This record gives sequence, C-alpha cells and structure tokens, in this order.
Amino acid sequence: MKEKSLSFRIVDVLLLAGFILPFVFGIALYILLEPASEGIEIAGAKIYFTLHMPLQDLPITESQVNSWIVIAALFFLCLFLTHGLSAKHPTHRQHAAEWIVEQTENLVLGNMGEYFSGFAPFVAAIMGLSAFSSLLTLIGLYPPTSDLNVVAGWALLVFILITYYKMKCGPVHYLKSFGDPVPFLAPLNVISEFATPVSMAFRHYGNVLSGSVISVLVAVGLQGVTHMILGRLPGFLGQFPFLQIGIPAILSIYFDIFSGCLQAFIFAMLTMLYISTGFPEDDYKEKLKKKKSKQN
Amino acid sequence: MQSSEVISINIWQIIISLLNLLILFLIFKKLLFTPVKKVLADRQKLIDDQFDSAKKAQKNADDAKKAYEAKLSSADDEAQSIIKTAKAKAQKKSDKIVNSAKEKADDILRQAKTDAELEKKKAQSDIRHEITEVSALLTEKLLEREINTADHRNYIDSFIEKIGENNDADS
Repeated sequence: MKEKSLSFRIVDVLLLAGFILPFVFGIALYILLEPASEGIEIAGAKIYFTLHMPLQDLPITESQVNSWIVIAALFFLCLFLTHGLSAKHPTHRQHAAEWIVEQTENLVLGNMGEYFSGFAPFVAAIMGLSAFSSLLTLIGLYPPTSDLNVVAGWALLVFILITYYKMKCGPVHYLKSFGDPVPFLAPLNVISEFATPVSMAFRHYGNVLSGSVISVLVAVGLQGVTHMILGRLPGFLGQFPFLQIGIPAILSIYFDIFSGCLQAFIFAMLTMLYISTGFPEDDYKEKLKKKKSKQN
Repeated sequence: MQSSEVISINIWQIIISLLNLLILFLIFKKLLFTPVKKVLADRQKLIDDQFDSAKKAQKNADDAKKAYEAKLSSADDEAQSIIKTAKAKAQKKSDKIVNSAKEKADDILRQAKTDAELEKKKAQSDIRHEITEVSALLTEKLLEREINTADHRNYIDSFIEKIGENNDADS
C-alpha cells in the first residue's frame, strides 16, 4: 500500500479534531455556564439566551446548541470517512464508510422499494442525528432528543414527506383516500393521519426523557438507601454514597446506550414504513402511463 | 440559569430542529453517500473492465491455441504425405534399379551362356578335327600306306558323330 503523505496525515488529524472538538466545546459550555445543582432536579433544557421573534419568543437552549454540536461533529466525521477514498486501495475507514452506505441502502431498498432508493441519506441522517443526540448523555451533556420540540421537528418533516408522497396523484386522490374503506370513517382517518407524527415525536421523546428521569430517581434513591444503611459510620464514611458507585452505570447501559440506539432505529424504521406505505404506487404508475399516452 | 419546562411547545424550536435534520441530510448526501457511491461504481467498473480484458485475453489465447493445433495437424499430414511420396519414389527407383540389374544380369548370363555354347561348339569341332587329324595320322602311320585322306576323314567323321550322338544320349 502507498505510504500516506504528510499533508494527508495533517488533514486527517484536523478532521478528527473537527469531530472531537464540538463535544469538547459542549462540555466546556456545560461546565462554565451551569451552576452545580443540589438534590433532585428534573427540568427541561437550560436556556442560554432568548431571541424575540414574532408569534413566540425563541429561547436558544441546550437542545439547540447540542443538536448543532452533533451536526458539526457528524459533518467532520463524514469528511474524515471520505478523506482519501480510492477504488483500488480501500483503507479501514473507507470500509467503514462503505459499510454504512451499503447497509443503509439495503435497509431502505428492503423497506421502501426501488422508487425510494434516494431516501438512504435521509434515513441515515435521522439515525445518526437521533443516535448521537441520545448518546450525548454519555459525556454528561443534555440529550436534545429528550426535548419534545426537537423530535417534533423531525416528525413534522416526516409528516410533510408522507403528505407530499400521498399527494403525488393529485389533491383529489389524496382527499378521496380519507374515505377509505367507508366514507363515514373519514374523521377517524384524519385523526390517525395527524396521530402519526405526534405518536412518533412522543414515543422518541418520552423514551429518552423517561430514561433520564429514572436514572436521576434511582441515583437519588440509592443515596437515600446508602444513608439509611451506612449512616451510622463515623464522619466522612457516613456521608459517602457508596451504593451510587457503579449501580447507576448498569441502568445507563440500558437507558442511554440501548434505548438511545433503539429509538433512533425505530424512528428511522417508522419513517420508512409510513412514507412507503402512504405512497399509492400503483395509482401513481397508472397516472404516469396515462400522461405518457396523452403526450403521444 | 433558567430552564425551560419539561414539556413545552415552541414553534421556532420545532422549525430549527426540522432544518437541522434537513441540513444533516444534505451533509450526508453530499459528503458521504455521493463520494462513496462514486467510489463503489468506480470499483465496479474497474472489476468489470478487468473481467472483460481477462475474457478477451482468454479468447485470444483459445484462438491462438486452435490455430496452432490446426497448423500442427496439417503439418503432420503434410509430413505424412511427404514421407509417402518419398517412399513411393524410392520404391519406384529401387524397383527400377533392381529390374535393370536383373536385366543386366540376365543379359550377362545369356551372353555367357551363348559364349559358352559357342566355345563348346568350337571346342567340339576343334577336338573333332584334332581327333580326325590324329587318327588319320595314326592310321597312315599304322598302315603305312597311302590312303585316300578325304575318304578316310569322312569315314572317321561319321564314326565320331555316332560316338558323339551316343555320348549325348548317355549324358
């Protein structure tokens, strides 16, 4: 294999630094701006500052900043993975990049079909953003996915896409689809249509938030238990929460790692399924045929 | 520092989050999927090209092999025919030589035979003559009288003829 040049290595290191620095920046921001809290605190994201906007003030909170941190990190990760691609001599990182691309494309092809093959980057973006956002808890940052607004934004985008593809056969066809299978069920159909994004948003947000809440409760509870059992030990030993060592970490494996990745996967799967099942492919093909025959 | 409610709806935050996802989608598309897919396509093309060239080389080799085999078999045939004609020619030549030799030998034999015959005849007549002379001389001497030599010779000749005939019959 060809020896890498010095400039190639320098760019490599810079890109890796670009991947890591956003997280470092997030941690620094957290340490500098947040006062150390005492006791139980279950609250939303911290507000850094508020912008005055029409309709509603826009508070720039931890969830927005952390989202941007994740996006910046993923931007540099993409650059790093695709740096020095070659068709003849693939490196380890190229294998990783190819694996990601091929797996996502296979997933999208398997779940959505040939027509939606262009959705692979979108699905990868959902998975990456969701998983990395949830995993931010591992370095002590506030996970943006436990803010309803963030997940609701994604779900809204998915809803727009669903409606766009349902409208492909024209608005009349779209409105008619609500009268399916019997016209008097139309109100229920409308409700279920709007329930889709809401349920997606609340599922994801609720899972991540409940994980953090349970983690906090267990940690505090363990503090109380330690105090009860070992409280009579003299001095410092009586105050030290021994049971808080290690045990919350086991819960964290489930709530932070497993649940975070699982919710990212579920959100992506639901996106694919809702978009592809909502799209009336057969009717659309017929419409295209009619158009063609008219032109001819 | 203030913190927002656990459940709060803010339109601008929702829109920001929506745009975030769109931006990340574009980043993934432009920076990860497009280049990686391009590289994969390039590699596929490379592999296809190599397969094609390998197939072509194989075909060329097969063709060359066939041509050589054809040439080889034709060369064999040619050699066979050459050997055949050469053999035939040689056979003809040897036959000719043998025949001419036989003829020559026969000629020589015949010549020898006729020569011998002539010699024999000559010798016979010589001997006959000699004997006639000698007997004539002998009788002349013995009888001491003049004899008609010519008559005598005729007589003896006929006598010897008889003997010769007897001899011929005996042998």
